[in-house]
Amino acid sequence: MRNRSIPHILGINFGQSFASIAVIDKEGHPECIANEEGERQIACAISYSGEQVYIGNGAKPFLVKNGKNTIMGFRNLLGHTYDEVDHTAILTAPLLSSSTTPSYEVDILVPPPKAPEKGNRSAAASGAATPAVQEPTAGKKTLTAPEVTTLFLSTLFTSASDYLGVKPTHCVISAPTWFGPEQQAELRKAAEAAGIHVLQVLDEAAAVLVGYRVGMPEERKERGLLGQPEEGDAGEVEKTDKKVVVLDMGETSLSVSVVAVSNGEYTVLGKGRDDKLGGREFDNLLLKHFAKEFTKKTKTALDVPCSESAPAGDKRAEAKLRLAVEHTKRSLSASSGAATCAVESLKDGLDLSTSVNRLRFDSLAAPVFRQVGERLRQIVKDAGLDLAQIDEVLLAGASTLFPGLQSNLALLLAPTAPVTAAIDPSQVIAIGCALQALHLSKLDKDLQLSDVLALADRDAETLSAPIGIAIPGEKSEVLAAKLFEQGSALPSRRRVALGVVGGAEKVGVELWEGKEEVKITRVPAPPAEDDEDEEEEDEEIKEVVLNKGKFLGYVETEVKGAKGVQMEVIVQKGGKVEVRLWAEGKEEDATTLTM
Amino acid sequence: MATLTTLPLTLPALPSGYSAPSSSGLSKPSSAHTYPAGPSFLSSARRQLLQRSFAEDDKLVLAQRKKEAEEASKVGGEEQYPGLGEEEEDKATLAQDPKEWKKQDHYAVLGLGNLRYKATDDHIKVAHRRKVLRHHPDKKAASGSNDDGFFKCIQKAHETLTNPERRRQFDSVDEAIEDSVPNPASIPAGKYCATLAPVFAREARFSKVQPVPGFGGEDASKKEVEGFYDFWYNFDSWRSFEWHDKEVDEDSTNRDNKRFTEKKNKSERTRRKKEDNTRLRELVDSVLANDPRIKRIKAEEKAARDAKKKGGAAAAKGPSAADKKAEEDKKAKEEAAKKAAATPELSKAEKEAQKKAKEAARKNLKKWKKSIQAVIAASNYFLPAITAPSAAQIDAHLTELDTLCDLLEPEEVKDLKEKVEAAGPGEGAKTELKARVVGLGQKADGKFVEFTKDPLGA
Repeated sequence: MRNRSIPHILGINFGQSFASIAVIDKEGHPECIANEEGERQIACAISYSGEQVYIGNGAKPFLVKNGKNTIMGFRNLLGHTYDEVDHTAILTAPLLSSSTTPSYEVDILVPPPKAPEKGNRSAAASGAATPAVQEPTAGKKTLTAPEVTTLFLSTLFTSASDYLGVKPTHCVISAPTWFGPEQQAELRKAAEAAGIHVLQVLDEAAAVLVGYRVGMPEERKERGLLGQPEEGDAGEVEKTDKKVVVLDMGETSLSVSVVAVSNGEYTVLGKGRDDKLGGREFDNLLLKHFAKEFTKKTKTALDVPCSESAPAGDKRAEAKLRLAVEHTKRSLSASSGAATCAVESLKDGLDLSTSVNRLRFDSLAAPVFRQVGERLRQIVKDAGLDLAQIDEVLLAGASTLFPGLQSNLALLLAPTAPVTAAIDPSQVIAIGCALQALHLSKLDKDLQLSDVLALADRDAETLSAPIGIAIPGEKSEVLAAKLFEQGSALPSRRRVALGVVGGAEKVGVELWEGKEEVKITRVPAPPAEDDEDEEEEDEEIKEVVLNKGKFLGYVETEVKGAKGVQMEVIVQKGGKVEVRLWAEGKEEDATTLTM
Repeated sequence: MATLTTLPLTLPALPSGYSAPSSSGLSKPSSAHTYPAGPSFLSSARRQLLQRSFAEDDKLVLAQRKKEAEEASKVGGEEQYPGLGEEEEDKATLAQDPKEWKKQDHYAVLGLGNLRYKATDDHIKVAHRRKVLRHHPDKKAASGSNDDGFFKCIQKAHETLTNPERRRQFDSVDEAIEDSVPNPASIPAGKYCATLAPVFAREARFSKVQPVPGFGGEDASKKEVEGFYDFWYNFDSWRSFEWHDKEVDEDSTNRDNKRFTEKKNKSERTRRKKEDNTRLRELVDSVLANDPRIKRIKAEEKAARDAKKKGGAAAAKGPSAADKKAEEDKKAKEEAAKKAAATPELSKAEKEAQKKAKEAARKNLKKWKKSIQAVIAASNYFLPAITAPSAAQIDAHLTELDTLCDLLEPEEVKDLKEKVEAAGPGEGAKTELKARVVGLGQKADGKFVEFTKDPLGA
């Protein structure tokens, strides 16, 4: 029997192009669930066709025949006015220019009014004339972006309710990192109009971090979510203090957040986005590739992607090809074999049937991969860091599933830094949202949710430099170990255990403020062979070292044969440091030092 | 909670003569946005909002965890139900034939004879386990007996009681529950509620709608009592009588025989259900009929009505002191209201008089109008004497006269009539009418044509 006290939890990843939902299963683990159509990636699309409304993946095929009544890409319009948004729609329903809130107008058929119920239900002839069968009348319906969002979210909510058997009571919904308070409020309003009890509108990057349990070594290892770097021990151990990049590449845009993790608290060091760089780029590449192939095979000109003034036939061909290419793209990222693409009657009644393999695709997509890498480098640089200082890259968004992209990113990082996709990148945000909802549902009884969330409205005090320890008497310029990451939110505390050399009577530890530096060593390239024209460049090896900066203090304690010592360092708000050092098992005899 | 990280470092013994370098404070902290996400943020928020230090928070969290762990071990643990299922079985129970399971008392077999329909799923689980531990055939084998009859009974009882549908069927016909109802007519009024409340609490176990409103005390309000009877008159019961079904002969291959038995069972079930419904309805009827609370409420209502009707007179009749006081209050209020109403009442009489005068004037109005009309007719409708007035002209004059009389107050019409008669037919009358129309000012705009025409010859 299921424990009744477990709250019913729902995490919603509401993307621009796709949404996904996750719930907490009976074991208390988050799980991404499929809607009633069996889709885990639910397209954010709504299509009006006569009396019917299609929501989700079922609405996408309508782009071909009924694009004018198909609404897509409405999330980013939330909280904006008509003038603030880009309103070129080539295939989908156009935005109405008349209203300030972005809104759409679609053709619908209004069902006829119900004939009044007859009182007498006998089979005998009534004498009255049989009323004529009433036809639905054509009409127009205007929907604002928040209304569309409400409609869409309510279907997600229904899917989750059907899965759970009850209505979820605790929901967290994701919003892109660049959503401001206004847009978040608008999203919350739309969700609440759909009957969803929203605990929090959570930043996508934060959802990914929560989903991966970054900075929580035990939990992360237990769930098998560690990354697999080329070198080093990051595959076995999760550090409590690290610098992480969350790279979210969705269908339409790329967003990168640089985050300092300190014992499971996440501080934003920098973030950026590119709203032109997304999975759509890959679509366009494949689209062009296949169109060229089509032209070559059939001698029929097909110029895609179309401009706004292209003939209707070309537009329809593009829509058809786009739907087919999506499948090709998915199979490319899933399997290493060749992925096929087949469209019947693409243009002028001619079919397309072809395939592309991963190697070919990687060479096609290389410029996009490079662009992504360049973006990443730029954003990390803007945050005042070097790529070598990044300890891990977490991937989110279905477009990061390409192995080509993952290996490309891994090349940019230090060999010890993994590019992690241990949770399916297309589900990780929903999973993170569900986990966050679970955490929030277990909130202390003395706390108000609004108070807790309001704490993050103001910027928190953070360490401006890392703090590390050194062994007294050593002349080295490098610190022995790092305790606090730069950017740790204050107050913060670390507890470490250290070994002690046998027979020592007394040990001491120095506390230093560190300076992180990137040391670049050039390894000269092997002398070029005669038959090669190009001269190979010297290889650069970047190494991050933590140098001694300012000396903070020194503590010592008697050990008397103990095998190890433990140390606790607390940095309070305002920069007050409290240090305690004690021999294992003798916490009451700790030496304390306050700075 | 603090996570302890083991660093791959070994501290050497402190070098002799070591002196620490001069220390300086920490660099000034910077500020950055933090994500309100993850358990660590929540614990940090807890410390900040409740103003706890790390050590204090650790202590409280540890205590909390300990408490939770204790509770978790209790739930599903057997310590929670001491003595459950450990009722001693009497010989008759032990000697039951497992084949006669339809007749056995499943609750007694599991040692839940005192809980019965109140036993929860957890109770049944725990009791079953305890019984099995004691009566498992493996235990009996040691003592040489090979009788597993009671063990089979236990298994059957567990099987029946853990299946919700079967359990309901058994509960529906549970004979061990007393179902006698005292005659409501013979219960003294003082003990009425105390006697009948358990009866209804017992019947309430069949309700599909839970919770069931209680019988209430002697001094329950009208709303409570009505709610109670409303509920019981609309009682939706899950009680069913499948348990009494006759078994279809297992080895009988005769289809007709089987169908016949099924049909009989069905009709029997319906009959019993009907009987049960009637029984309950009659019970509620008789309880309602004899309920002293209903009598009390009726009396109170009557008193209230009387008080309303007679004002002060009813106050003396009030049955209780509280009622009396209420009546008096009411009376006082009424008197206050009367006083407040006294002043408008005076003007009311005046209004009456005015109304009468108006009525009289309206009656006379017709007379006056006729006299004016006669004068107009006598003046040949203000036309030259030779021309006979056309029907339209006459009509126009009459309409205008009507309008004029409507616009004027009755007294003014009287005045007009006197003046017109005094002026006599012809020019004089016309001048009088015209003057009156002009006197109306704006009200008369556009309504009068004939009367405002210049007099003849002017």
